[in-house]
Amino acid sequence: MTGSIVTHLIRKDLRLHRLQILLTMAAGLVALAILRQTGEVPFVLGSTWFFVAIIVLGSMLPVATIVNERKKQTLTFLMSLPLSSMQYTTAKLVSTLLMFLAPWLGLLLSAVVLIATRNPASFGIVPILLILASLPVVGFSLILATALVSESEGWAIAATIICNSSYGLVYYLISRTPSLTVNWTGHVAVWNAAVLRFLSAEVGVVAVIVGVTFLLQSRKRDFI
Amino acid sequence: MLDTEYTEYTQMHGGLTLSQSDKRPMYLQIMEQIKMQITVGDWKEGQPIPSIRQLAVDIGVSVITVKRAYQELEREGIIVTQQGKGSHVSTIPGLGASLREQELQQHLENAMRVAAQLGMRPKEVEKRLRDAGERLAEKETV
Amino acid sequence: MNGLAAELNAVSKRYRYFLLDKVSLKLPEGQIMGLIGANGAGKSTTIRILMGLVHQDSGEVRVLGHRMPAGQIAAKRDIGFASEDMRLYDSMTLGWHMNFIRSIYPAWDAAYAQALLKRFSLCADQKIKGLSHGQRVKSTLLLVLARKPKLLVLDEPTTGLDPVARHEILRELTNVMADENRTILFSSHNTQDVEQISDVITFIDRGRIIDSMDKEIYLDRWRRLRLEVPLGTQLPALPGVIDVQQQGRLAVATANAFVPDLANAYENSGARVQCIQNMTLEEIFVANVEHSREEVEA
Repeated sequence: MTGSIVTHLIRKDLRLHRLQILLTMAAGLVALAILRQTGEVPFVLGSTWFFVAIIVLGSMLPVATIVNERKKQTLTFLMSLPLSSMQYTTAKLVSTLLMFLAPWLGLLLSAVVLIATRNPASFGIVPILLILASLPVVGFSLILATALVSESEGWAIAATIICNSSYGLVYYLISRTPSLTVNWTGHVAVWNAAVLRFLSAEVGVVAVIVGVTFLLQSRKRDFI
Repeated sequence: MLDTEYTEYTQMHGGLTLSQSDKRPMYLQIMEQIKMQITVGDWKEGQPIPSIRQLAVDIGVSVITVKRAYQELEREGIIVTQQGKGSHVSTIPGLGASLREQELQQHLENAMRVAAQLGMRPKEVEKRLRDAGERLAEKETV
Repeated sequence: MNGLAAELNAVSKRYRYFLLDKVSLKLPEGQIMGLIGANGAGKSTTIRILMGLVHQDSGEVRVLGHRMPAGQIAAKRDIGFASEDMRLYDSMTLGWHMNFIRSIYPAWDAAYAQALLKRFSLCADQKIKGLSHGQRVKSTLLLVLARKPKLLVLDEPTTGLDPVARHEILRELTNVMADENRTILFSSHNTQDVEQISDVITFIDRGRIIDSMDKEIYLDRWRRLRLEVPLGTQLPALPGVIDVQQQGRLAVATANAFVPDLANAYENSGARVQCIQNMTLEEIFVANVEHSREEVEA
């Protein structure tokens, strides 16, 4: 057997869902193409679409990879393999995060490059861009955790709705926080303390979510 | 099992199939069919027969059923099992003929039992038997 | 010479509307055990506990020497599990699944897998979503059989299949028997299949094991005696007879512990034994379940 069982499961997920990943990436790239046009309308359209692409990917993936295993009854097939529920959880977390983060990173980098080449004068926006784009990552891990632990489509959808409706508010609050926005109109990306704290908080939250997921999964007595 | 191996075995026990509509226990059916093979001479005296497990696989029944059939057959002296050497048909001369006799005996006893239930006397049964024999002889000459 | 492939000792599991009550079970190596029971009797729960997929509330479970559910990873390396509610990935082909399993289990026998494809009339290039129910079941079984696992645990492997497909699967299961080190546990509604290929029969009803023994011995214990009862004769209550149905002068006695003396006892009481019939496993099933439920209620 080449590689551990967890690797096999991750590869399996990547193979199974490659179409969805590609489609979302394509949508994101279209968004970026629109952003390349100058003008306010393309800017609003493009940036909205860009974030929507990331958010949609984040909401759709957990359902596709986790909830469907139970719905389509393939979970029993997987659990008949020589693995524990912890290994399953690890594989799902890793594969789903990979499937989300890879396109996410690609889109983010494309956006940064776009700004750097097309609009270097507004490069100062990059830290905020990172903060804003990272929020769906936090939301995504929450939806992912909910899907894994609850194994219920209903709960996953509820988590999705809560997250998606919160982004707007959080974005608004961020734009109203001077310590974060003070340098965003400049042409230099300034990573001040506030920005760094916010980013580390986001990372911290994700870590806690993952930790709690493992804890709750380990206490499950009826895996099927 | 490779297909070539399979054909060899069908030659050996091609006759052994269980009937679902036969209400008798499976092990009895197996015993009967093995005795039949011996009676008609397909399985000769002293000939090695498949192991319990092998026959079970070939017929498609549980090992325990074949085991029981073999045990009963051994008790009746029809087959012999040697530790480590497998099983073979008994080397009693005239085994086929004696099995045929046993079958006839069984039929006759059944007939007497039914006659008793119907309240028929042995003399009546004798007459009936002779009539049946004559009818059979007539059919064969036609 | 043979140990136990699996053992359950006083295993209990409580659900909201169902209780698996101190189930004990011994599955000897090299044998085929048929698990029968009505719907909801606890067959699937017992099997899932055996596989370590469900954690029992109390009691010990050992499979292939491993304690379950703690040792499930090691145990599952040598177990082939297929259940009726298990599905494969719709959008992938059977061939993809075969490669997937092969990459995980080194004991995969590619030649045998090809032979099974032919015997089951399956096409490796076909996507799972295009398969009929029977083809899907056979595909799942192929994946489990081609690995040649030491223990096969099958939850309703022939349910919903046409007679030809059922026959094909039973054939393969009996072929597994050729290796005396391999064991099969299967649950089924099809009493005919269980009767034919099982070495041991285990009966489960309402969360309890009501019988578990050698099939031949078990079948031998059950008889129906058809009796003619003259007027004025009272049929005695005999040990080993669990039910007597009488209409007028004819009666049918069902015995679950038959000995020839039973017939004599009836004859001595004045009744005439018309015939003594063996019972099929299906008849035994129904009689047994009815009897055990009466006992519980009494």
